[in-house]
Amino acid sequence: MAKAKGKGKKSGRAKTPSPPTTRAERQVWVRRLVVGILLWLVPASLIWIALTPIYNPFLTQATENLVRMTESPSVTRLLNQAPHHFLISRTDVPSPKGWITSVRVTDTHFPMVMMIAFFLAVPGVPWKIKLQNLGWALLFLIFFHLFSLFLWVKFVYSTQLGEFSMTHYSALQRNVWGLSKHLADLPFKLGMPLILWTAFYLRQLLPSRS
Amino acid sequence: MADPKPSTDKSQTEDKASGFWAEYRQEILFISLFVGILATGFTLISWTPVNDNVIEPFTGLVAKASGWTLSAIGQDTHMSGTVIRNDKFAVNIENGCNGVETLIIFLAAVLAFPAPWKARILGLVLGFAAIQGVNLVRVVSLFLTGAYFPEFFDSSHTVVWQSIVILFGVLLWIFWANRFALPPAPENSEGSAA
Repeated sequence: MAKAKGKGKKSGRAKTPSPPTTRAERQVWVRRLVVGILLWLVPASLIWIALTPIYNPFLTQATENLVRMTESPSVTRLLNQAPHHFLISRTDVPSPKGWITSVRVTDTHFPMVMMIAFFLAVPGVPWKIKLQNLGWALLFLIFFHLFSLFLWVKFVYSTQLGEFSMTHYSALQRNVWGLSKHLADLPFKLGMPLILWTAFYLRQLLPSRS
Repeated sequence: MADPKPSTDKSQTEDKASGFWAEYRQEILFISLFVGILATGFTLISWTPVNDNVIEPFTGLVAKASGWTLSAIGQDTHMSGTVIRNDKFAVNIENGCNGVETLIIFLAAVLAFPAPWKARILGLVLGFAAIQGVNLVRVVSLFLTGAYFPEFFDSSHTVVWQSIVILFGVLLWIFWANRFALPPAPENSEGSAA
């Protein structure tokens, strides 16, 4: 099987073992990867479900801090609404409800389940390296979630507040915030597990070119 | 006397940069292309002329196919534009429910992967059919969830089925990369040294 054979080229990277080289090894490797991903989805989902009640308030607070760093005076207040949302309010935009709109935070980070499964399912890689790579990927992902929610709030301010949006944001700004939020919220959110996985493991899939 | 250290530092930095590029060239090229195609594709489908003339009619076709499938499995559904309804539930098939997002992610991964064009075209044709097949199952399943288990509809719609369709796209890409995109590997490890 495609266990580490130590015949990969020497380099600074050289942490991930050599990819499978023969046809049989490659087929077994892919089969083990696919089965591993499907099996790891279950524990990854349980981890994600357990962490969501902690992670959502953390993201809410961190996003509020980030948004307030970009405004003067600081008028944004994000209120965690368990289990899945935060409420956006501004002290200079009165609202009968006390908040402007709600954002479903959980929808931002559910692809984390897929990413955990992708990273833990790679066959032939020692556990220490797998966990180390997963740790780096998760760290990057947290920053991405934060940035994505920041774009959500800016999108609401620039396009969803009627007269306020028209007065405070130019057409270009409205388009830039809208498109940025759209890209972060769909393609990059959904594509991020694959992007991060390929950053660490693409060459395992490219044996003949390594 | 001139201190040779700055030029040594500069050449060391250049060596490191070229070493980094040589070491990670495959990853950098794949991710750059993938991200570029993904961003371009999603920007393009957000553009009003493309949305109105391509995406909306395509979404209409997805809605028709879903309505027809639901009728075929015994649900007494009626179509009204892109709305499918029966006496228990109604759902509007909108952008985001048409599988186009997964298609673009799959397309970006296939085009970014180093492979012959013949393999890419084959992958895109098969991928389009397979992803639309799974998306049809998704829409039908969501309608049935809304009709019979409405408390699970929101989570199924946004989290569960989105994950399943994207996961399917990624697994399909791994299958394609291994089966069609890579040159045939040698039968045994002795042959691989060539």
